[in-house]
Amino acid sequence: MCADDEVSLLVIVVDVNPIWWGQQAQREPEFTLSKCLDAVMVVGNSHMAMARTNKLAVIASHCQDSHFLFPSKSWRGADNGGDDASSSGDGKYELLSVANNLIAEEIRNVMSKSEYKGNSTETLLAGSLAKALCSGQEMKSRILVIKAAEDCARQYMNFMNVIFAAQKQNILIDACVLDSDSGLLQQACDITGGLYLKIPQKVALGQYLLWVFLPDLEQRSQLVLPPPAHVDYRAACFCHRNLIEIGYVCSVCLSIFCNFSPICTTCETAFKIQLPQMVKPKKKKLKQPT
Amino acid sequence: MASLSEEVLLVVKKVRQRKQDGTLYLMAERIAWGPEGKDRFTVSHLYADIRCQKISPDGKAKVQLQLVLHSGESTTFHFANESTALKDREAAKELLQQLLPKFKKKANKELEEKNRMLQEDPVLFQLYKDLVVSQVISAEEFWANRLGGVTNTDPAQYKYKQEVGISGAFLADIRPQTDGCNGLRYNLTADIIESIFRTYPAVKQKYNENVPHNLTEKEFWTRFFQSHYFHRDRINTGTQDIFSECAKQDEKGLKSMVVQGVKNPLVDLLSLEDKTLDEGYGVCGAQPSTSNSNRTVKESSNYAIIKRFNHHSAMVLAAGSRKGETPTDQASETSSTDGNSRDSDFFQPPVKKVKLQEEYEDLQQENRPKTVPLNLKKSDRYAHGPVPLQSQQYTTSQDIINSVNYIQHEMANYKPNLTQVLSSTVATSAISALSPGGVLMQAGAQQAINQMVPSEVQGELKHLYVAAGELLRHFWSCFPVNTPFLEEKVIKMKSNLERFQLTKLRPFQEKIQRQYLSTNLTGHLEEMLQTAYNKFHIWQTRRMMRKT
Repeated sequence: MCADDEVSLLVIVVDVNPIWWGQQAQREPEFTLSKCLDAVMVVGNSHMAMARTNKLAVIASHCQDSHFLFPSKSWRGADNGGDDASSSGDGKYELLSVANNLIAEEIRNVMSKSEYKGNSTETLLAGSLAKALCSGQEMKSRILVIKAAEDCARQYMNFMNVIFAAQKQNILIDACVLDSDSGLLQQACDITGGLYLKIPQKVALGQYLLWVFLPDLEQRSQLVLPPPAHVDYRAACFCHRNLIEIGYVCSVCLSIFCNFSPICTTCETAFKIQLPQMVKPKKKKLKQPT
Repeated sequence: MASLSEEVLLVVKKVRQRKQDGTLYLMAERIAWGPEGKDRFTVSHLYADIRCQKISPDGKAKVQLQLVLHSGESTTFHFANESTALKDREAAKELLQQLLPKFKKKANKELEEKNRMLQEDPVLFQLYKDLVVSQVISAEEFWANRLGGVTNTDPAQYKYKQEVGISGAFLADIRPQTDGCNGLRYNLTADIIESIFRTYPAVKQKYNENVPHNLTEKEFWTRFFQSHYFHRDRINTGTQDIFSECAKQDEKGLKSMVVQGVKNPLVDLLSLEDKTLDEGYGVCGAQPSTSNSNRTVKESSNYAIIKRFNHHSAMVLAAGSRKGETPTDQASETSSTDGNSRDSDFFQPPVKKVKLQEEYEDLQQENRPKTVPLNLKKSDRYAHGPVPLQSQQYTTSQDIINSVNYIQHEMANYKPNLTQVLSSTVATSAISALSPGGVLMQAGAQQAINQMVPSEVQGELKHLYVAAGELLRHFWSCFPVNTPFLEEKVIKMKSNLERFQLTKLRPFQEKIQRQYLSTNLTGHLEEMLQTAYNKFHIWQTRRMMRKT
């Protein structure tokens, strides 16, 4: 382990979409949100135990908002009396038990308080990532996203902005995907240099997290880890939303089309294309016989 | 033998070379010597090959001229004509001095440019080594496209070269050193001589007239410095001085400059007169007249100094703008001294008609080009990412409510149970999936090609690609084949490609086969070459068909 005094922050963003987790609990009762959170706590504890200067933050990403599970506002640090802190009774490192208790408390608050309004079923991941970025400003930090529900197409712009901001600040984004592949997270990992993994067994989440996502960037170069996935960077045409490899781009508004049309439908510019000129066949003069 | 079209600039008879009598010919591009009585030249050197010339010192009996070539060889010519040996040699030397610089720069410049380009760009250097040194293509073809900048714009480059100006203090810088006993040594360098000639064309003219016929250079300059022309108080224009004419010309020149007036009509110098209030305040009395008789000695010497300073400064500035057209300028200078020449007429109308520039361009509002505003009708298209429209899984509101309730119920009593996170079977299956060869590690085996191939092989492959790319570029640029030159080039390039494949590609392939690298590294290169061959074949058959 490196004996740096540098503070290293790990931000874990957990997707706690209640709809997905509720359905998941009914599908697979052996792996529920509780189990997932247990695994997250294990990784968080491990990270804090690796070095004294390591720090942890956990954000829960919900349908309507995102909350910091740890460190939370009610945490007073060492000033806390000690009754709650040492209630685990198993001689655990105090920081770890405090953290675990806080996380548990907060998640209970989050899940119980949220009155479900509207019909948005998507996780606000972009917002959580933005919060994670803000918290990791002064120190070396990385973000681990545990994703459950599907991608939300509406968050695309915000997502990309967050990804590029992370890249500029040299913050890695790792992704551990439980259910369906997420193109946005694949791009995020590719651009920032993190690892993307879709795990085949949800029950073994803890093992995957410890094996793949616990080591930080310098340590990863010494380990044999799953290779980076091939990312599909194709653009989608504006007219049909098909992913295309070759297309036409309007030079005025930069919108992409799969077929040529003389007028761009986004900015209404008219284009003229020069057709190849027709060569008129020359009539040969017949030689007059003398 | 000299071709008839060569222009002979100088012929010197009775020049011995290697103890043989003969004649020396200086032509437009070369110098040649032929023995007496014979028609042909035994010695012939291009000016471009000559590095420098040397002459024997003045005191020696033998009057010789030696040419040193770039290759190190030297040829010596002995001027054996008793009466005119020295003169002949000087004439030859002068001519060579003029001609050599012209040719020297051209040859060296190209080589220098090539060397510089090769040194600056290691990729180019490697390409050169791969293609030219191994004789895949010739050096001329290699440099054909790259040296366009040097050879084509040679005259233009000289045009844009900045001319060196003249320092205003060049005369003062020749500090005379005392020679010990009452003499003065003036150290004249070629630069100073050039400055003097450029500033004072009159002196140059005198030099051309008198040297080398009447005076030697040394004598000329000695007289120059001795003359009152050079010294401070130029009141007495000396009698026997060859420079007295110069002084008179200078005065005329100065007068004409004054008459020409100030070029900038906005600066009204005439109004800057000394206004006298009264006797004792400011300058009083009549303005100094230009006739010598009215002046006191002191006044006139001051006047002379100031006049000389002004004249010197004016000449230095004029020399900077003259740019080598000395004869015509001198003619114009002397011609404009007839009082009101056309030059002074030229300047009168603008003085009256000039107006102050009332509008300054950079203080006005910027005239930006007219732009068309961007008019986006459907800007929400940009916000949508490259996620194809898929039918989202439809969840009924009942499902939603159910799920939410379930999860809330579950999490209400959440207590972390960290000892039961993993069971050993689950953990081992995860580990096996993550180990090399496991489910998740499959893609890695195919992507490690750059780890399997050693870096020297990779480097060689890169060089091969660069070289092949260069050859293919030449090849494909020949199409469509319109001119006979392109036809030849296409055929040549095809043979170059074949030679490249034989001498470079095949050995590389064999080498990697010997190293048991099963990866097909050269497949793409072969494909590119084959496409080129196919194209050539098609073109050739078409050409045959057209001919028959």
